[in-house]
Amino acid sequence: MTAALHVAPPKAGAPIKHDDLESKVTVKERLSAMAHGALPGTIGFVGFLIVWEIVGRITNSGRPIPLIPPPTSVIAAIFKDGWTYYGPNLGTTLGYALDGWVWGNLLAIVAAGLVLMIPQLEIVVLQLGVTTYCLPLVAVAPLVFLVYSGSTPYRIITILFVFFTTLVLTLAGLRGADPTSLDVVRAYGGGRWQGLRRVRLVSALPSIFAGLKIAGPAAVLGAVLAEFFQPADSGLGVGIIRSQQQLEISRTWGIAVVSTLIGAAAYLLTTLIARIVTPWAPKLEV
Amino acid sequence: MAATDEIIDLSTRRDMSVDEGTASAPATGSGIRLRGLTKEFMVKRRKVTALDDVSFDAPEGAFVALLGPSGCGKSTILRILADLEQPTSGTAEVHGEAPGEIRKRHHLGIAFQDAALLPWRSVVSNIKLPLQVSGVKVSDEAIADLIKLVGLEGFEQARPGQLSGGMRQRVAIARSLVVEPKVLLLDEPFGALDEMTRQRLNLELLRIWTERATTTLLVTHSIAEAVFLADVVAVMSARPGRIVSRVEIDLPRPRTPDMMRSPEFHAYCDQFSDLLFSGGVAPSGDDK
Repeated sequence: MTAALHVAPPKAGAPIKHDDLESKVTVKERLSAMAHGALPGTIGFVGFLIVWEIVGRITNSGRPIPLIPPPTSVIAAIFKDGWTYYGPNLGTTLGYALDGWVWGNLLAIVAAGLVLMIPQLEIVVLQLGVTTYCLPLVAVAPLVFLVYSGSTPYRIITILFVFFTTLVLTLAGLRGADPTSLDVVRAYGGGRWQGLRRVRLVSALPSIFAGLKIAGPAAVLGAVLAEFFQPADSGLGVGIIRSQQQLEISRTWGIAVVSTLIGAAAYLLTTLIARIVTPWAPKLEV
Repeated sequence: MAATDEIIDLSTRRDMSVDEGTASAPATGSGIRLRGLTKEFMVKRRKVTALDDVSFDAPEGAFVALLGPSGCGKSTILRILADLEQPTSGTAEVHGEAPGEIRKRHHLGIAFQDAALLPWRSVVSNIKLPLQVSGVKVSDEAIADLIKLVGLEGFEQARPGQLSGGMRQRVAIARSLVVEPKVLLLDEPFGALDEMTRQRLNLELLRIWTERATTTLLVTHSIAEAVFLADVVAVMSARPGRIVSRVEIDLPRPRTPDMMRSPEFHAYCDQFSDLLFSGGVAPSGDDK
């Protein structure tokens, strides 16, 4: 937050002296915090890769098909497959993931808003939410594919991966709004709707964004897993199945790495957007 | 919220003599008028009486202070007047209007101990919140004047997170005045501030009140604050909340800080100390 810099000093001859502006975290402090947080993390990660490389090379020596492909061969496989392989597969999976992400979050946020306006709905909606979260995928997915066709089953399965966390976090955010601010709105004639619109919705944004953040990787995972049950022409999940069948182990790992990166990218992108949209919110350093 | 922390225990003190005050109240009840106001809460399946048959009158345009220990129900009176809570029985009126009417007609300004500013809004935008909620229209000039009145020029676009506690309360005061209310309800607005800031803001409040002459109800537990600011002080006792005395402060206006050193000022303070500490009013701080 550099916003403290924008505050103009009081004009000369102002009637009273103002108390000092509360100091914000300085750039230097943030850099040192990063050094303490990010640096050991990076060292640890690089160390992990090195160990993996060594273990991979040792265990694979003499085998025609690598058991644990070392990072270098995984990355080599990703580049060898290149965009011609990943482009269509990524497109399919990301399409499902994005579709499910949008619908799942939309449904969750609307459901949370409804619960707030009509408290009697709470038990029903939360029970529904918990159910979506607890349903074992292996039981549900075949049924969903049996009942629906086209892209609908993928959407439904991805929604199941996204809905509940966003619902709970949105509800917590809406409920957590400052009661005194709500009193202020009420004292000026505002009702439930004004309270929701002027106070609750915006103060819930950081919490909603926390939900959207978790929903990103969850949606990618949901889409990949959905593909397991009905392998189509393309998709990352399909790619994982096929490369395993064809004993292209490095490619399997490569797809896993790419899927992980996509999930992480969705998470980071949401974090970035959250920071821009809700600069007042306390920051979670992840 | 405030209601629950107002009352915790019910060690009733029925022996207390209720009041020279209500009896001798002037008939000019066109300002604040409370009649037999009673409020009961259920706390853990036990009935707790927050307010017990409170009656009180103050003329229009008066600065009224509700003085009493924590847990005496003074905030409950304020919340009833703001239509944030309903009395169990009895009536409350300001200028002949019931709280519900006051609220709907936007005749009300309110500020709490917590400034309760919306952190995503600038100072100006926070001040405009009551206008957006109520639909009352006020010119930009009037808002600029208001910002000047509370001494926040140059901070119009600042966010609450960039302001000190004292400045946030200035914003809250400006916000309470923006609909040009006929009645101003202040629930210890400077209660969480340090003594120096508090003194300074009380002087500012006095200046603002003098310019606007709004019927004002201030809830406070500071004796000096009540004497310095108010025309009428209602002293309250806890468990159950009652008004034990109504005292008119006969100090000249405009009030100045040096009046706080006058013998008359101290006489009032001593009178209230007697009422609060030896007159059977439960002391604060033991309400666990």
